Amino acid sequence: MPTIQHILDVFTESYPLFLKGAWLTIQLSLTSLLIGLVIGLFFAFLSLSKIKALNHISTFYVTIVRGTPLIVQIFVLYFGLTDLVKISSFLAATLALAFHNGGYISEIFRGAIQSIDRGQFEAAKSLGMPNVLAYRRVILPQAFLRAIPSLGNQFIIAIKDSSLAAFISMDELFNIATTQGSNNFDQMTYLIIVAFYYLVMVMILSFLVQKLELRLKKSGAT
Amino acid sequence: MKVLQAKNIKKSFGELEVLKGIDLDITKGEVVCLIGASGSGKSTFLRCLNFLEFASSGEIILNDKKIEPKKDDLNQIRSNMGMVFQHFNLFPHLDVMANIIEAPIQVRKMSKIEAKEKATSLLKKVDLVDKTSEFPSRLSGGQKQRVAIARALAMDPTIMLFDEPTSALDPETVESVLEVMKDLARDGMTMIVVTHEIGFARAVADRICFLHEGVILEQGSPAELLDNPQNPRTKEFLKSVIH
Repeated sequence: MPTIQHILDVFTESYPLFLKGAWLTIQLSLTSLLIGLVIGLFFAFLSLSKIKALNHISTFYVTIVRGTPLIVQIFVLYFGLTDLVKISSFLAATLALAFHNGGYISEIFRGAIQSIDRGQFEAAKSLGMPNVLAYRRVILPQAFLRAIPSLGNQFIIAIKDSSLAAFISMDELFNIATTQGSNNFDQMTYLIIVAFYYLVMVMILSFLVQKLELRLKKSGAT
Repeated sequence: MKVLQAKNIKKSFGELEVLKGIDLDITKGEVVCLIGASGSGKSTFLRCLNFLEFASSGEIILNDKKIEPKKDDLNQIRSNMGMVFQHFNLFPHLDVMANIIEAPIQVRKMSKIEAKEKATSLLKKVDLVDKTSEFPSRLSGGQKQRVAIARALAMDPTIMLFDEPTSALDPETVESVLEVMKDLARDGMTMIVVTHEIGFARAVADRICFLHEGVILEQGSPAELLDNPQNPRTKEFLKSVIH
């Protein structure tokens, strides 16, 4: 095991590299989450539709996402996509992670939308709102609020999962740790350091989600 | 002038026939109370009137115009019929003011300033001006229901439908809601009220209808129906609710 002094020394030396990796991790996670939110909302609507065929499409998608390992999804999408069209590995990784997160997020949204009391929709309808308006102004805002804790959880998972993009040669945090580790014949030190970076990012995110939840609770809106 | 006419309304849920042909006319400014045991179809009937439920058969005529549920713009029709629910159904993510101005702005395209002015005067009417920026979770049941009434009134409905508005309230807040409804009736609002409040029905209703197993078994003025019921079932029901 490396000594603490050694780890600290390597940490202070290597931080420019790691910060670069962390920045890429953040970009990767954030873009894939944003796309995942859109995909998730879309499939949540499909699964809530009255049209059976659309339900099946959504079920199929979620089953694939949940039933296969993320690394397999990343490889299939990466090699599949780069085979068909010329896209950067950043885009391929983003899309693969978005595809994956979208599946889980769609389940979060579906549950949140279904949990909104039927009376809310009826109240909106009784005031003359068309369905789209009722969803946009009444159902979805409440569903989003209710989904925040689960979304926060999914975001944390997404940050950590983005480390798998290392395997399609993205120079994100984990890749930097493994390359540096083997270049310097010092794997353990770099792994401990990269764990620290992930931990800090996740802790910051948890803190922000918690603050948001608290603020919403205080305002009385949830 | 007839505001609303329901003709031979029938409604089944699967095998269960909840409404077995209900006729009801209501003239402008009239207050009709629907009473009856739970399961008698009062609420279902009320919900058929503004198409929250679709009647299996029958006609609804609003302001002398027969409504064709498949063709007519039901949203527009609903916007002219205020509905107050047993469980309030206020929008919990919006404060009191936002709850009230939501539909006038989004549906009627009213300007925000105008909608707010209107909301403020309605909040005065229901005696809740001091709660303008509270969220519903901070209000008592009676306050919530009064906001819900103000929200419905903000659309200038031609008729108000009340679905057991005081059934979910703590006893001490019931009166504040009934007071608001009495004021409304006095102002000439056309109202259909599903209620268990016999005292309220007696004081405010022009006509009381007793529903039993999906039909109107008996109707008449409060004096007729409450003090001199003809049908044995009406008598039995009244005996069970008036202690």
